[in-house]
Amino acid sequence: MDTKPAEMMARRKFLKLVTTLPALAATAALVSPLLRFLKPNVEKFKIYAPTVQDAARGEVIAVATLREVANPWDYKYFVFTQKYPQYTPEGFKAANVPGVVIKLPYKITLYDPATGQGPWRWARDIGKTPKVTESDLIVFSRICPHLGCIYNFVPNYKEVTAGYGGYLPPPPRQHALMACPCHLSIYDPADPQLPGRVLSGPAPRPPRTFLYEIQGENIIATDVEPGGIA
Amino acid sequence: MWEKVRDWLAQRRQKLDLFDETLVARQDNPLYLMGPMLYYFWLITVVTGVILMLWYEPTTTGAYTSIERIQNDIGRLALTFLGRPVTLGGLTRGLHKYGADALITITFLRIYRMYFLAEYKKPGELSWMLAFLGLILGMVSGITGYLLIWNQRAFWAAKVVLTVPVYFDELPLIGPLKFGSMIAFLFLGGPAVGQATITRFYALHFGISLVLLILVEVFFQRTRRKRINMSLFPLALFLVMLVVISIILPAESGRRADPTKTPLPILSDWYFLALYQYVKYTPPLWAGLGPGLLIGFGLIVPFLDRSKGRRPLERPFFTVVGALAVLYFLAFTALILFNIAVIERDPFLIMNITLVVLALGLFWELRHRRQQRQAAAAGISPPARAPVHG
Repeated sequence: MDTKPAEMMARRKFLKLVTTLPALAATAALVSPLLRFLKPNVEKFKIYAPTVQDAARGEVIAVATLREVANPWDYKYFVFTQKYPQYTPEGFKAANVPGVVIKLPYKITLYDPATGQGPWRWARDIGKTPKVTESDLIVFSRICPHLGCIYNFVPNYKEVTAGYGGYLPPPPRQHALMACPCHLSIYDPADPQLPGRVLSGPAPRPPRTFLYEIQGENIIATDVEPGGIA
Repeated sequence: MWEKVRDWLAQRRQKLDLFDETLVARQDNPLYLMGPMLYYFWLITVVTGVILMLWYEPTTTGAYTSIERIQNDIGRLALTFLGRPVTLGGLTRGLHKYGADALITITFLRIYRMYFLAEYKKPGELSWMLAFLGLILGMVSGITGYLLIWNQRAFWAAKVVLTVPVYFDELPLIGPLKFGSMIAFLFLGGPAVGQATITRFYALHFGISLVLLILVEVFFQRTRRKRINMSLFPLALFLVMLVVISIILPAESGRRADPTKTPLPILSDWYFLALYQYVKYTPPLWAGLGPGLLIGFGLIVPFLDRSKGRRPLERPFFTVVGALAVLYFLAFTALILFNIAVIERDPFLIMNITLVVLALGLFWELRHRRQQRQAAAAGISPPARAPVHG
């Protein structure tokens, strides 16, 4: 006789569960259209962000001539226009991605066709094969990979020590550096293994790079590594 | 289970204080006037905000110009102050800005009061959690409102703040779902700061206050409590203070947003400055997780603090934690204003100071409890006190 009430409770619990599950499923089914209201380029019944839909499209431009960056540590700033998807009637927003072309004192490997490694390994992800594999020219996006500020190319490392949080580079790195005024990340553009290596500060990775080609006298930027907020 | 939660909530609702309205008896002490003042400043901000909507234009091209126009041309009065014309538009904008600043200040002070006097203890848990959520929403309302000016400071604040959640994609397990990018894209209206961002921020800025105001009014209708238990004189005085400061120090507009140039030094509204300094010190994933954990800690602090007393010295550990929080808030704000940050040295120093101080706090707490136990064993009972909620 003692077991009977317990059994009835179990049955009630079971029935509750049976009615709760469809209710939960219905709630989940509501999430997808709600999300598509907020983020119209999400596919149906997908509730997480597909990055493919949010990929930006760049416009190919000549960023510098070879003569402008002829000597080691010559550099030139430029602005690359990139179209970002936006959830407005226009659908797209043209945003500026500032960049910098730098002439390094020695050649570094940008892309290893055999292994696909190097600073340009992201080219594969957007379906491109870099035409340049080794060069003393490198093109960085000046959007800081940390939190999206615009960082500076600083020709004299002493200015970095004075103005960007007191970091003194070790002797082999005492040359031009790149430094961000917002949160004081400092990058070495000429690191042979990892160009743009983070020397100091909170940045999690080197700055993003531009894919470029050389056509005659011109350096042509074609794509910028995806990621971050512009 | 469900019944337990309902009982718990019903008990707390009896003593729920949104604006210290059940503490009328204690309002000979200005500390307890912070509740009604909070409500008062909030109303000023909402009303002036609605008036500003008449002239504000939420577009990337028109926002800055429309604000300038509100400030300098709308409702020009026949008097000038230091060569600048005094306008009704400028006054409204000043009241909105300084009213909001006062609102955030009072919210902060009230939260510190509730913390150091342990008002979050039973039955004040719900009041505390709502006050804390109110601070978060107030700050969100602040940052969404700030972007609407579309000046340099606002643009870069929005960009930096919304790059932070992108790093949640690095978390194990839930990271690959890319929900971090999702959060950023939902707020920005795409992967870049643009027109969609300003539209969404405008909606949020207005919506937060609108929804909260409706909820609060429903609550007051149902409990039939009085919203503001203050005489007319201080209310008029606060309004006059806001008007005077809006004339002497007109709300600034800064420079129009320029996406290719980061301003130096990069700053934000005053209540975000400490957070900005913190962001310099940590890896970017922790720039998001740190404040998240802090909010989490704030919300569950009533359930963590199991000490008996309410006075600060009767629960040393939580007093030390609170004092440390105040100190860091002030110190980090000062550091960023003077633009001091030595990345190689500071985080190590701060970590060590924090650990040592917390350890000392714990030690103090243990010693205090041992003394209490010994006193109890010796038969000395602490003097009886009136409960806070009288």
